[in-house]
Amino acid sequence: MFSIQNNQHDSSYLSLVSNVGPFNEFIDEYDPNEAFNTLSNARVLVIGAGGLGCEILKDLALTGFKKIDIIDADTIEVSNLNRQFLFRSGDVGRPKAEVAAEFVKRKSMGKNLSIVSHYCRIQDKPQSFYKQFDVVICGLDSVEARRWINATLVSLVDSNLNGLIPMIDGGTEGFRGQSRVILPTVTSCYECTLDMITPKTTYPVCTIANTPRLPEHCVEWASVLEWPRRFPGKKFDPDLSEHLDWMYETAHRRAIHFKIDGVTKELTLGVVKNIIPAIASTNAIIAASCCNEAFKYVTSSNPILNNYMMYSGDYSIFTYTYSHARKPNCPVCGNHPKTIKVPGSWDLRDFIEHIKEKHDISIGTPSLATATKQLYFRSPPSLEEFTRKNLGRKLSELLDDNEEVIVSDPKLPISLRLLVKLE
Amino acid sequence: MSFDKKLKYDRQLRLWANTGQTSLEGSHICLVNATAVGSEILKNLILPGIGEYTIIDDKRVTEEDIFGNFFLDEDDLGNSISSSLAKQLNELNTDVKGYAVSTELSELLRGPAEFWDKFNTIVITNQVASHDLDALLDLLWERRIPVFLVRTAGFYGTLQLFAKEVNVVETHDPAMFHDLRIINPWNELQEYSDSMDIDTLDDEMHAHIPYVIILIKTLEKWKKENGGKIPLEYSKRSEFKRLVESMSRNLEMEDNFKEAAKATHRALQFSQFPPLINDLFQKVDSQEISMDSNVPIFWIYVKALKQFVEKYNELPLPGSLPDMTSTSFAYVTLTKLYGEKARDDERKFKDEVIHVLKASGNSEADVNHNSIHSFCKNIHFLYATTGSRKLYNNSMISAIMKESNSLECSTLFIYFTVMCYFSFADSLQSFPNPGDLEKFKAFFRNMFSLPSSKPLPEGLIKIFKEVIAHSSQSYHNISSFMGGVTSQEILKVSTAQYTPLDNLYVFDGVHSISEKWKI
Repeated sequence: MFSIQNNQHDSSYLSLVSNVGPFNEFIDEYDPNEAFNTLSNARVLVIGAGGLGCEILKDLALTGFKKIDIIDADTIEVSNLNRQFLFRSGDVGRPKAEVAAEFVKRKSMGKNLSIVSHYCRIQDKPQSFYKQFDVVICGLDSVEARRWINATLVSLVDSNLNGLIPMIDGGTEGFRGQSRVILPTVTSCYECTLDMITPKTTYPVCTIANTPRLPEHCVEWASVLEWPRRFPGKKFDPDLSEHLDWMYETAHRRAIHFKIDGVTKELTLGVVKNIIPAIASTNAIIAASCCNEAFKYVTSSNPILNNYMMYSGDYSIFTYTYSHARKPNCPVCGNHPKTIKVPGSWDLRDFIEHIKEKHDISIGTPSLATATKQLYFRSPPSLEEFTRKNLGRKLSELLDDNEEVIVSDPKLPISLRLLVKLE
Repeated sequence: MSFDKKLKYDRQLRLWANTGQTSLEGSHICLVNATAVGSEILKNLILPGIGEYTIIDDKRVTEEDIFGNFFLDEDDLGNSISSSLAKQLNELNTDVKGYAVSTELSELLRGPAEFWDKFNTIVITNQVASHDLDALLDLLWERRIPVFLVRTAGFYGTLQLFAKEVNVVETHDPAMFHDLRIINPWNELQEYSDSMDIDTLDDEMHAHIPYVIILIKTLEKWKKENGGKIPLEYSKRSEFKRLVESMSRNLEMEDNFKEAAKATHRALQFSQFPPLINDLFQKVDSQEISMDSNVPIFWIYVKALKQFVEKYNELPLPGSLPDMTSTSFAYVTLTKLYGEKARDDERKFKDEVIHVLKASGNSEADVNHNSIHSFCKNIHFLYATTGSRKLYNNSMISAIMKESNSLECSTLFIYFTVMCYFSFADSLQSFPNPGDLEKFKAFFRNMFSLPSSKPLPEGLIKIFKEVIAHSSQSYHNISSFMGGVTSQEILKVSTAQYTPLDNLYVFDGVHSISEKWKI
């Protein structure tokens, strides 16, 4: 018979752990005491203390998790307050991870809850930091950060599946979102699904320069063409009001010139920051789904999501749950190189531009090598200078047909293998 | 709207704009039962700035209430639960007013029915005595106040919307349709098209003719060659598309001709009358809608639209234009042409609205320019449906009792089991324990009048076992999930934008799947 050793008789999840249900996958082996133990000892890392992160922290604290770390390099802004409910207007400017951790700890007094906050970028932490966790839950808005943590977690797994840490990933946009469970090297990973991400809207340069028609074209003109011309070498910062005002006024003048309506400050900000609409409700749905999976995984009380759930609330309610297949040629978790066909007459520069734009590769600052030679390296400067001359050379001179090229990027712990077929 | 508000609400204004925000801020929502899921619903509505909320619950805070609820803590023990919850929730947003009513629901139901009229939406959570639930649903159904009933049990959640009818104008339909009037251009558009002699243009200008003009000119050519006929069938439209392409000087270089070819099928198909409009016209003339002073404004507009169509033999032009390759000048000229025609149609439509308002005993003062504008803009994307007052119907019962699905895990099983779970607690004063399976089965049979001769499907019994084993009404992940789902639906109803649930939603957190049903 099961007896609760914990003093906290939290009835909100007690029965979920203490009684075995008919869908439990290990009915004969299930041990409630052990499940409680794992739940209160599991080390969970929450990445991101924004809209999703605030919800995740609350959900974990209320479902029996006791050892939580949270990491985020951002500080609180006014536009966060419509959904990031652990922050008040007096907190603006303070680190999100710290304020979120303090708030939830204060709320959970007497629950023996530890929340450690890390005010830094995920890339600043060594592999050994990530190794201590049993589950990682991501509430991020950046593709790059997800790719980084995904590749890091995949690299921790050995051939006997030792070191496997599940990555539970949530994402939202407006009334829509998705949650997924990634078991690194077992299920499809984040990189396997890179081609599912909607690319950012871009406008042809000739439209922006010569034939603007939409207010967005005017903003793009101001930010892509006019800013670098007027302030060479100076980085545009949308959070500085004098920068944003200049951008808005410049775009507005162009709009008046071409008799285009609709350039407002909000639109300008939306275009230059690539702002994604966000509400508390959707964050609540997706965070709860992620934490439900974490709870089921840690307690073994019920099966976990295999492996992707989409939620859409703009036209009635629609969800779609399915198992996304691994990609054998995934640069992170796959074993096979990806094949790419290009004309041999291209020079290396054309080739680099091509792979930068290719949606399922999306490597922003690639360095390239073959098994025997360096094709182009961005750093250190001496190597860059040495390999720069290759940029103008034809692929047919540099490569054999079907030769493998290894693409890497200092921003990502990934090296992508491309099998290049020359046409 | 103040600068501070604009900044604070920036991420949501991009979804529903100032009009939606104004509606939201004018809404008063009522929560029945201060549960964990109820707290989460309110949190998600207070943050984006709903106008007011009221919590109805006469109970005192117990330890049970604190577990799984982020907005109650030990200091609240023994105090009024509705006041304690309102106190903590009010901290989330100083723009919002919150009230607590510590009166028993049944007492409120015995009081004046006008009490409920101040609410725009009511949400009932978890356990309510069956007779109170029925009385409340009847009362609100008659008063046309939409009600959401949301329940959480273990890993499961259910949500139902009771609304006599739901009509949406600003659906934000993702189908990027534009009414371009290629088949029947109005005079000004025709004149503009005629003013362009495309054969004499230099290559640069030729590659910047807006595709609207390309399609109009190609159609003229087609009609000349085909005895005045319009290419309506699919095969004819494909042929037409090839004609468009053949008019390009160099298809590789001319993006505008590529765009024209791509837009062919939609542009030609779209000039036909959308079927939903015909359905609405039929309905507005039927007995279902009584055109009196209580009729929703939506039906006034539909009736006015019908008169507009009878008079002018076309719909008002929405006036929106997609982006297309063009010189800035030609595009701005087109935007102006479409805009002017749309404004003109809107004026004519408004005259019809005034006519209908008067004829139905309403005041002309009820004319709202913004809502007329929005109706005209969204004429191709209107949404209308009728709801149900019932908790279930007989076809749902026969569906769950069908032997063929005996091993399937249907979400309908979950819906009925959760409904029964709360009735069980209402009747027997406690939720079922793992030892109560047989008792629960008998209760279920009795509740839905099922003959004892027919065995209950195995799949259904499995759901019974799951709910009984994992009996909890406040497992936070499900409370928060259903709180998020319900608040999304309330936001849609309150902003009068996007399309709400019609009308039953079931979430299975064991398998992370969900389904919806229409009762």
